[in-house]
Amino acid sequence: MRDTLRWAYALNQWNVRLDVFVRHEDQQRALKTVSACGFDTIELASGTGRWDNISRPEVILLNHGSHAGFLDFLRRASVQGVSSMFWDPQAPAEEEEGYAFRSTANPADADAIVEWSKPFVDFVAGVGAEQLVVRPVGSAWMTPPLDGDGIKRIGDVWNRIGELTSASGVGLALHYDCLGAVHTAEELTALLDATDPASVGLALDTAEFTVGGIDPVTYYREHADRVTHIHLKDTRYADTGDEYRMPGAESTMLKGGAGRRIERWFYELGTEGGLVDVRAFVAALREHEYSGWVVVESDHGGNPAELAMLNSWYLQHELGIPKS
Amino acid sequence: MNQQNIKWSYMDHWRSNGPSGPVDQWHSHKTMSAFLKQIKATGFDAIDTFDFRIWQMYGDYGGPAKYQEMVQDNGLERIVNTFHAADYDVRNYAPHIPATHEYILEDFRVTMGRWSEIQLDNIIVMPATLYYDMEPVTEDKLKYTAECWNKVGEITAGFGVKLTCHHEFFCGIQSEADIETFYSYTDPQYVSLFVDTAQHCIAGVDPVALYNRHAHRVSGFHFKDTRNVATGDDHRHRPDSEIMAPTTGKWFYEMGTDQGLVDFAAMMTAVRDNGYRGWISVEHDKANKEGGDYSESTAISRWYAKNVLEEIYR
Repeated sequence: MRDTLRWAYALNQWNVRLDVFVRHEDQQRALKTVSACGFDTIELASGTGRWDNISRPEVILLNHGSHAGFLDFLRRASVQGVSSMFWDPQAPAEEEEGYAFRSTANPADADAIVEWSKPFVDFVAGVGAEQLVVRPVGSAWMTPPLDGDGIKRIGDVWNRIGELTSASGVGLALHYDCLGAVHTAEELTALLDATDPASVGLALDTAEFTVGGIDPVTYYREHADRVTHIHLKDTRYADTGDEYRMPGAESTMLKGGAGRRIERWFYELGTEGGLVDVRAFVAALREHEYSGWVVVESDHGGNPAELAMLNSWYLQHELGIPKS
Repeated sequence: MNQQNIKWSYMDHWRSNGPSGPVDQWHSHKTMSAFLKQIKATGFDAIDTFDFRIWQMYGDYGGPAKYQEMVQDNGLERIVNTFHAADYDVRNYAPHIPATHEYILEDFRVTMGRWSEIQLDNIIVMPATLYYDMEPVTEDKLKYTAECWNKVGEITAGFGVKLTCHHEFFCGIQSEADIETFYSYTDPQYVSLFVDTAQHCIAGVDPVALYNRHAHRVSGFHFKDTRNVATGDDHRHRPDSEIMAPTTGKWFYEMGTDQGLVDFAAMMTAVRDNGYRGWISVEHDKANKEGGDYSESTAISRWYAKNVLEEIYR
């Protein structure tokens, strides 16, 4: 996509379990699909263990020899580079981190999380990506209620990691999600206030915001100076019943195991009944001369290739963005 | 063609999974719209379709012109070709049996009338019955078949549409010798050749050499790949060797597949050197077999066209 905005595509939807997206030719097929859809830059998502050879920095390097080797691998499919990499320190990592459950809300975990961030910071810098995109805090159902001090402690962890990313010449963007313990607009703003604007930005995910009850257009307009990364996707539902507080909300809410039993929350751009005003949101980005990456993401919604193609069609034909 | 010598059309085989299970694009307006958007998004500018879809065009959309409006609403230019997938039957519809010719001619008079509300480039036919219904393939049978298509071609030409022949590996005219004899009896004014790269490879015929010999009367292509050549009785299985041949579960793959037998670089070079200008249709029928996915195969084939073939000729 060639435009005044910079467009990338997230690969996370292809990697649905540890052993299905490992063969290099399968990865090449996904990369070629993204390329055919007009995207020449991708976002990676973090993973763990030897199967996650397009997700875990150390394993990527073992597979491709070097950052340059990995970039050569991408370029075989006409994908030129990496915009960003997503990392959730709350997700337990296997070999690398000893299966430990840690949380930025727990002060005792802070040092370990800062240490864990280093391979990601190094990798993002090494492949020339611009942002390390992170889940700032674990799910609300697993986290004690956060008061102002609690949010400040979380901010402190990210300020420390922000120093590392800044020193490496990359950005750090906190990615709000609809299950997170930082849930309301007020809590999110408090977290931003607790972090250093010079080194810590916000990754605004239009669908996650909408599910979580925050209007992405309004919030962007009010905090445009802090938004350094975008995930663009749609949803048909808002969490109007506080389902995010259900135990096991990753499954009970997001996979339809309980509550309203909604099995699919995230949709392609242009979906019928979509709640995100994508056109208004992109217009707001242009008004504010947003300069970061806009990563289109189909998340876990359906056939990855089909959704990438539908997202591409929407950008080309509804937003008038030329493919190249 | 705005400086472009080649444009890409997509032959509309498709499957997707919906709430009611596996469906094709004709399942609903919604699935059709999703199909057309995906085709356009990756860089195709038109579609080809099948003749037997005309009933759905009338029933669901109001006819070929109305259906083509929907195609255009999704950003594509038009329908380029239709494939007349006749249900050959030696009792009443077999080009090598002269007694059935009038029935075939009447079929095309009616068919072309139905399509006349839009402008097609080609109506594509498999020019012979299934192999097991034509064998032994004799010179007389080839001659009768050619006579049939000469007359059909005259009818389609009256509608401004080329009659063009697509040689499946399991049809009665699939060997190099029989193809050559067949074309020697046909009138280039009325009968064209439509080169399907994979079908010829499967039948043991070099599609590049075939194209070079007949380039002056080639009116289109199906660009798709295969990993297998037919052996033994592969071409003799009822009802359709593409499905039933015992040696191979999946015959067709998208362009650029590993271990593909089609030399697409040579093919595109020949297309360039013969000065072909117009549409090339991309096809990968039954792409969903053995775990394949139509959306992904379509994106990858268009990736291959852009990154490999258009570097040779565009």
